[in-house]
Amino acid sequence: MTTITSFRSAVTAQGLTKVYGSGDAAVHALRGIDVEFATRAFTAIMGPSGSGKSTLMHCLAGLDSVTDGHVSIGDVEITRLNDKRLTMLRRERVGFIFQAFNLLPTLTAEQNILLPLQIAGRQPDQALFDRVIDTVGLRDRLRHKPSQLSGGQQQRVAVARALISKPEVIFADEPTGNLDSRSGAEVLSFLRTSVRELGQTIVMVTHDPVAASYADRVVFLRDGLLVRELEQPTPQTVLDTLVALEA
Amino acid sequence: MFRTTIAGLLAHRLRLLLTSLAIILGVGFIAGTFVLTDTIDAGFSQSFTAAADKIDVAVLAKDEENPLPPSLLAKVGSVAGVKDAQPVVSGEAALIGKDGKTIGELVTAGVAFPSYRMDLTSGSAPVSDGEAVVDTNTAKTEGFRIGDTIAVLDDKNARHEFRLVGTFDVGVDQSLAARGAVAYTPATAMRMTGAKGYAEIDVTTAGPSRESLRTAIAAVAGSGATVQTGEELASDLAASNGASTEYLKIGLLLFGVVALLVAGLVIYNTFGILVAQRMRELALLRCIGATRRQVFGSIVLESTIVGLVSSVLGLGAGLGMGGLAVFLLNTFSPDVEVPTGTVTLSPQTIVIGLATGLIMTVVAALLPARQATKVAPVAALRTQTEEHTFRTGVVRIVFAVIFGLAAAGLTYMGVTAKPDESALMTVMAGGILAFFSVLILGPVLVTPLSGLAGWLPGRLFGVPGRLATENSRRNPKRSATTTIALTIGVTLMTFMAVLTATMRATADQELDSQFVADYRVAAQTGDVPHAVAEALRGHPELATVAEFREAEGRLDDKDYPIGTVTSSVLESTMRPKATSGSTDGFKPGTVMIADYVAEHLKIKVGDDVRIGTEKDATPLRVVAILDSESLLPSITVPEQFFAERFGKVDDNQILIIAADGADQDKARAIVDNAAQPYPAVKVTSSTEIRDQFDDAIGGILSVITGLLGLAIVISLLGIANTLSLSVHERTRESALLRALGLKRGQLRGMLTIEALILGLVGALVGTVLGIVYGWAATETIAESVSFQLPVGQILLFIAASGLAGVLAAVLPARRAARTSIVGSLASD
Ligand SMILES: Nc1ncnc2c1ncn2[C@@H]1O[C@H](COP(=O)(O)OP(=O)(O)OP(=O)(O)O)[C@@H](O)[C@H]1O
Ligand SMILES: [Mg+2]
Repeated sequence: MTTITSFRSAVTAQGLTKVYGSGDAAVHALRGIDVEFATRAFTAIMGPSGSGKSTLMHCLAGLDSVTDGHVSIGDVEITRLNDKRLTMLRRERVGFIFQAFNLLPTLTAEQNILLPLQIAGRQPDQALFDRVIDTVGLRDRLRHKPSQLSGGQQQRVAVARALISKPEVIFADEPTGNLDSRSGAEVLSFLRTSVRELGQTIVMVTHDPVAASYADRVVFLRDGLLVRELEQPTPQTVLDTLVALEA
Repeated sequence: MFRTTIAGLLAHRLRLLLTSLAIILGVGFIAGTFVLTDTIDAGFSQSFTAAADKIDVAVLAKDEENPLPPSLLAKVGSVAGVKDAQPVVSGEAALIGKDGKTIGELVTAGVAFPSYRMDLTSGSAPVSDGEAVVDTNTAKTEGFRIGDTIAVLDDKNARHEFRLVGTFDVGVDQSLAARGAVAYTPATAMRMTGAKGYAEIDVTTAGPSRESLRTAIAAVAGSGATVQTGEELASDLAASNGASTEYLKIGLLLFGVVALLVAGLVIYNTFGILVAQRMRELALLRCIGATRRQVFGSIVLESTIVGLVSSVLGLGAGLGMGGLAVFLLNTFSPDVEVPTGTVTLSPQTIVIGLATGLIMTVVAALLPARQATKVAPVAALRTQTEEHTFRTGVVRIVFAVIFGLAAAGLTYMGVTAKPDESALMTVMAGGILAFFSVLILGPVLVTPLSGLAGWLPGRLFGVPGRLATENSRRNPKRSATTTIALTIGVTLMTFMAVLTATMRATADQELDSQFVADYRVAAQTGDVPHAVAEALRGHPELATVAEFREAEGRLDDKDYPIGTVTSSVLESTMRPKATSGSTDGFKPGTVMIADYVAEHLKIKVGDDVRIGTEKDATPLRVVAILDSESLLPSITVPEQFFAERFGKVDDNQILIIAADGADQDKARAIVDNAAQPYPAVKVTSSTEIRDQFDDAIGGILSVITGLLGLAIVISLLGIANTLSLSVHERTRESALLRALGLKRGQLRGMLTIEALILGLVGALVGTVLGIVYGWAATETIAESVSFQLPVGQILLFIAASGLAGVLAAVLPARRAARTSIVGSLASD
């Protein structure tokens, strides 16, 4: 535990509040969240449906504006950036893996993987590329279009894409939500490997206690509030915590 | 099912808006054409009725060559029941302008008609021999005022002066409006124009009905006259004018049909895309029990509603466009008097407008509707919509090849055939088949072509450029239909540009080779007095002065005009082309004959033909058959021979070549001075002729281009429509790209480049088709044309198409860039 918190924080949120709509129709999705995500750590965000997980992730990643509070990625406070700066920040420092529709259908797997680098006008690191490709086991699929890949393969392409630009943090929203348990396990262990071996920082939203158990730490949300944390989770401890929260 | 259709329509109303606009424009143009021509027709018949209202019975000469004998006037006047009978005289008498030369291109009309028919705008009608009135337009352009003295040449070119006592409006008489008119008393008019009789006698009744008076007058009028009541006269006149608006109508409708065709393609594409996007929805309907027929019906119903609503709006647009056209005609072309009735939608216009709009929309939606019935219910269960993979089918290739071969065959036949109308028709048929071939092959062509068009943007704009190229070819069928709509307009524009450029170049070349003369002197009426040529000779500034003369004569006992030319012309640069024989052998005792005369009479070089007058003909040896485009008289004899047979004949025309290096202004002044004493003798220069021709052709081209512009606008709506539907379809993709770091501007740029590529592809195909068929068409127009590629214009078309595509992308691109990333990622 101490070993993990002693790392510098990759992402920090203070008093993070998000309100959708206004007046009677206002939905308080986040009600003042203070949280830190350590570098070189794999953190899972859990909570019941509607508890604000996706909203939190979007706010942390600078995809959505916040109503109140501060978010920093590394030493940059993103809540004060305009759209253009945010875009540049995403290019340079953030990677994404979504639940579905991760890939551009017109591009091959390889082109999809290299897309963020090309957008940023950066040269791919060939050694890293080879390593990533071999780890995700996609070498023989590089020339295929997404429609020719299975759901698990598509997600692995998305993971490879997120890794290739060496972002400071990767946000993943239910990356295994659409996968069966075996492909899910592949993707998750790959994510964990990238944290351990490549020193990547990953923040992942998930519903699945097993998926969460791949993480170093789990934070629990309920009704827009951070209510519990678990270090070194196992499926059982996660499940127990969830059951306790529901009660 | 009806309820879901309506709900669907409302849900997609924004997407259908552009489609509706395409239909509205197409129907509007067609309806507008009818509104315009109806309004003109109504205006004509109104003013004819108004004019004829004052006439109870009119006696008309059956043909213009044989006017009514003057003696008939008294006979008609003495018929019982006739209150008043007055003659109408119609002829020509050249009015001399303030510059001392006769006015205008055409000889001024000299007329007389009853004062009650004269629409005086100022002053009074002529009552004595020394008085005349001028039409308002001529008075204005020439600056004539009441009290001025005007000079007019009679039919023998003798000058007479009149006091101007008034101005009058020629009304709807297009021929008077075009020529300008001077009205005199009947006797003076006959004297001035040399008319042998009256064109018409107008009668008013002292009491008897028009019908009975007509019968009574018909009894004395004789067989050379037609007797009509005022009503009959009015409806006849209106009908003959209606025939001319018919041409206008057909011409405009042709463009309307092109516009509708383009609109049809846009509709077809829109429904195709809507169906593709609603696969899930439709499959869901099938899952819960809707039959194929119901799915089909719902799409057809949707198109019917869209078609009907848009057509109704189109009729409104047509009313506006027609009204606008009438207004513009009246405001900007004062010399074309367009009488305007009230601008209205006739029942016929309503029926035609609604029917064309509705039928076209529904027909265009049939194929997409059939596509919709093919949706498998399981499609509802798939999460990710499949990418449209397009495979080039064998059937497609086979059909394209069949059409292509037929097109090539027809075109080849037309091009190699003897130039005439049927050759042109053959080429046009080939062109239509070639277009179909391209239409079928479109999806195959679009992929490499967009690669080509996207090459530069891909280089210049990096990732957005490359993504745009990919996007433009990801759904080849859709892109092909989108671009082919633009192709139609660009093809026709290029075709016209090539045709006119070639015509212009050919005419210029002809002017150069045949009309090498620098100046032409000719008389507006009659001939050029010989003295003019005399005055032109002996000036070092003028190298050649060639007199052309013609007289009525006989060739092998048939009436033919016989002509001659100053022999020095044969040594000058004006030297005519001979299709056989040679002009070198032209000397006393010989003759040269134009090819069309020779062909008709089966005359060859070496034959002897008898030429001269009826009493006295001499055999002459044919030494040359002249190219029909040569300027020489069709039967050219030596000067000496001509003078012996026909005596002193004034010149038909004089062609003049200035000496090399002579001062142009000086040469021109000499020619002008020689012509100066003779009001009817006018000087034109080859540059003036060329400019006039260029102006005329340029005018035609710009009108046609303007009319084709409508088709272009509609096809741009199509591009905008396809793009916005694609943007909608790719909401998630756009969000993903934004999440990965694509800036807003870059996303906008990506869509803009996609539109640019679509526009360029459409324009590329269009210009190729237009150039090929423009060339083929010119080959069928004349034997020797100097083909001219208007490179500048064509590049302009291509650039404009690309730019227009960019314009079409503005709104869709803005919408795409504006949507929030999170919202789009979540959207279903
Ligand atoms: N665009 C929006 N407008 C209004 N309310 C919203 C919007 N997006 C989310 N919400 C609300 O905010 C709350 C949190 O939503 P969020 O999507 O973050 O939940 P979640 O934890 O990700 O749920 P799930 O596990 O179902 O994905 C919910 O009550 C949701 O209804
Ligand atoms: Mg969620």
